[in-house]
Amino acid sequence: MKSEESVGPPVLKVENLAVAYKVRGGEVEAVQDVSFEIHRGQSLGIVGESGCGKSTVAWSIVNFLGANGYVKRGSIKFQGQELVGKTGEALRRLRGDQIAMVYQDPMQALNPSMRLGDQLREVLTVHRGLSKKEAERRCIEMLERVYMPDAAAVMKRYPHQISGGQQQRVVIAMALLNNPALVIMDEPTTALDVTVEAAVLDLVAELRRDFDTAIMFISHNLGVVARVCNHVGVMYAGEMVERARVGDLYANPQHPYTQGLMRCVPKLGSDKVSSILYPIRGRVPPPDNRPAGCIYGPRCDYAQDRCQHEHPALRPISGVGNWARCHFAEEIDAAAWTPPEEIPIPTIDQPQSDNQPIMQINELSKYYEVRGDSLRDVFGLSQPRYVKAVERVSFTVPKGKTLGIVGESGCGKSTLIKTIIGLEDSSSGEAQFMGFDITGAIQQRDTQLIRELQMVFQNPDSTMNPSYTVGQQIGRPMERFNTVPKNQIRSEVIKLLEAMRLGSNYYDRLPRQLSGGEKQRVGIARALASQPDLVLCDEPVSALDVSVQAAILNLLLEVQQQFGTTLIFIAHDLSVVRFFSDYVAVMYLGQMMEIGPAEAIYAPPYHPYTEALLSAVPIPDPKARQKRIRLEGAVPSAMNPPTGCRFNTRCPRRHLLPDPDICLTEPPWRDVGPDHQIFCHHTVETLSSFDPVIAETV
Amino acid sequence: MFVKDYMTRHPIMVAPEMRATEAQKIMSENKIRHLPVVGEGKRLVGLVTRQRLALKPDAMASLNVWEITRFLANMSVRQVMLAAKQVHTIGPDNTVERAARLMAEQKVSCLPVLDGDGVVVGILSEVDLLRAIQDMLGMTAEGVRVTMQMPDEKGQFARLATTLAEHGWGIMGIGSYPAPRRAGYYQIVVKIPQVTVEQVREVLSQIPGQEMVDIRTVV
Repeated sequence: MKSEESVGPPVLKVENLAVAYKVRGGEVEAVQDVSFEIHRGQSLGIVGESGCGKSTVAWSIVNFLGANGYVKRGSIKFQGQELVGKTGEALRRLRGDQIAMVYQDPMQALNPSMRLGDQLREVLTVHRGLSKKEAERRCIEMLERVYMPDAAAVMKRYPHQISGGQQQRVVIAMALLNNPALVIMDEPTTALDVTVEAAVLDLVAELRRDFDTAIMFISHNLGVVARVCNHVGVMYAGEMVERARVGDLYANPQHPYTQGLMRCVPKLGSDKVSSILYPIRGRVPPPDNRPAGCIYGPRCDYAQDRCQHEHPALRPISGVGNWARCHFAEEIDAAAWTPPEEIPIPTIDQPQSDNQPIMQINELSKYYEVRGDSLRDVFGLSQPRYVKAVERVSFTVPKGKTLGIVGESGCGKSTLIKTIIGLEDSSSGEAQFMGFDITGAIQQRDTQLIRELQMVFQNPDSTMNPSYTVGQQIGRPMERFNTVPKNQIRSEVIKLLEAMRLGSNYYDRLPRQLSGGEKQRVGIARALASQPDLVLCDEPVSALDVSVQAAILNLLLEVQQQFGTTLIFIAHDLSVVRFFSDYVAVMYLGQMMEIGPAEAIYAPPYHPYTEALLSAVPIPDPKARQKRIRLEGAVPSAMNPPTGCRFNTRCPRRHLLPDPDICLTEPPWRDVGPDHQIFCHHTVETLSSFDPVIAETV
Repeated sequence: MFVKDYMTRHPIMVAPEMRATEAQKIMSENKIRHLPVVGEGKRLVGLVTRQRLALKPDAMASLNVWEITRFLANMSVRQVMLAAKQVHTIGPDNTVERAARLMAEQKVSCLPVLDGDGVVVGILSEVDLLRAIQDMLGMTAEGVRVTMQMPDEKGQFARLATTLAEHGWGIMGIGSYPAPRRAGYYQIVVKIPQVTVEQVREVLSQIPGQEMVDIRTVV
């Protein structure tokens, strides 16, 4: 056994690194004074918000900085050899043999027009000169090592024929084929579902142990880093502001920025009544306009005079194992922190519980017809086939409450929302909103009805017309629906902007002049402009940084309080859904598996699928003990779903039934509590006997 | 105990074209004594050791002081390394004792570890073997270390093991070897956790035909 703290020379040693990009009118230092080491078998997590220079550090190691980027100062030593200033040929050889990279989007690392086998083999035949046959054998071995089902067959497939999680496994297998000393992973799981993410993270941790590979793991997600890394560096505005062992960092963050980040993320199991998210005020300064003195100073609650002109150095903090870039780290007590007054904190007064349902959905289904391309299909002679995107979904939403919908991608969450708002018509079933029938498409709806139902989209960039000003965008629904007299629209828009904490000076701005968080605020403002009763939010915060996410969630909560709006909230992050929602519905492959009050969903009894989802959530606390349930295989095709319980092909609890074949028949809806129902063959007693997924942390 | 478990993976390696002076710097900066030299695809082409870098005086005897500088500055790793065919190597699935024997017989202080087609996957040095001994004898935690001497006969070890089992004691490390200076006898070192010297002494000294050579508490 080798000890965790391995001695000996580091695999990668970065010292005082500064990276600059040449731009028009000078140059911008994207990264300043970053130092760290990674030893064999260690993984260093680099966290921080977008634009903090995480990826720039990674790219500088392999010199992928582009034509205008260069290492300005400092040194990067890999296996004792200086990389800065190496020629292209020497670097090329190192990259092929000893350094591998895994990127966020597996589709960009794989060539869509080549079979996976050819792409994998190439690594060995080109870099090692192995024979084709030997290379083939090793590739299959490595694919099996990353738990790829049916590895030999996968070699013959094209990238689009396997799922996203499998693609990422192929990329990881490819990275490890040459047994590299260092693997750089840049957000490797961000594009994946939680269940797939959990499996990939397990794999990364296991491979690090088995191959003694040094891993540099870049992520914005504190939970993911807690799960796979043993050291963490926190970056802010191009500097490393804190560096520590993973346990020390989460238990005892020293830098005010790290503390702020921790307060931004909802803990799994906390809700909006008992806990509050505190966004960090202000925003990350652009690299060409960083403040003198401490870079975090303008946003820091503890800033003093000294912070304004003296730049702090990254130094060991006495008494703890952390290194932090702060003058006052020893004096700051995170536990004694009180929110400063300028941070808006929504007040939640619970329940005006008249529970008047505002929306009732009964057995709603949405099928898409799939046309084949045979002659019979063209003439419409063959049996039509359908993708059953949403099947027999029923729920009610009480007025003024929030319903959260969770599930893996492809489970039909977005289709359900689109059907409700009328972007798609429904195939069968009933849907009523305030007494109106909403099963038809939007063309058949009354303008008043359209006004009452509004939507906030995931990606604010693609939902705003780039050539309209913010004021025009928000004013348009008011004009269309005649909610406000024409001459008052401007003042009404400004009122809304102020409610979104954007000043009236935003009225004439164009979308490109806004940050991601600001755009999402405008998106919310536009949805609220027609004073709707129900707002559908499709992943409204998943594209945002955690500090912005906290602010947007708070804003939505406040809006809900103020206007009494009912919300349907889709998100893939279960902690966020738990925090934000009153009721949660869990969907799988177009069907609802469980629905109930939020606090009931997150504790037993729960559906086996809910249990698996919960055990996959990355928790930002390395000490949390989480039950390990991993689903096998990918989500089956919605065109040909399993009969009976749709989850039966992957259910980890199926063997507990006396007769597992019963799962091939339709399960009953079981009432397990007030408003809480589970769609499963297991009896309530069995479901209640499951251990909680997350053991109480001591 | 296999080579792959005790070798150092991802050793620092250099290319044959590198200047010898730079290789020397890498070795001293990283405090390593062996530097495998690899070509395309991490295949072994040679090995640089500290001794190889210590130049023989007669090689430079005919040069004047200026020529020496140039001679040294231009010398490449290829010129100073021990060529691959002279380097003793081992595979990752070999046993640790096999590696130890090779190193002892050939009087080398390290073995590059090569996989089937000559690719360097690690390096095994004396220090790694010493760590294997420590692991074998349970060096990592506190316990009572007892040395028993017994005749080289069948059933002797079973007697010791049964006695330990009767008392519900575990074994955290064990080693067995021919007794030094006593032909026909074996010594067995056992390290037992969570017991006291007195308890062990009382029980093990009762085994007929066996002799307790040494007992102590060690970490």
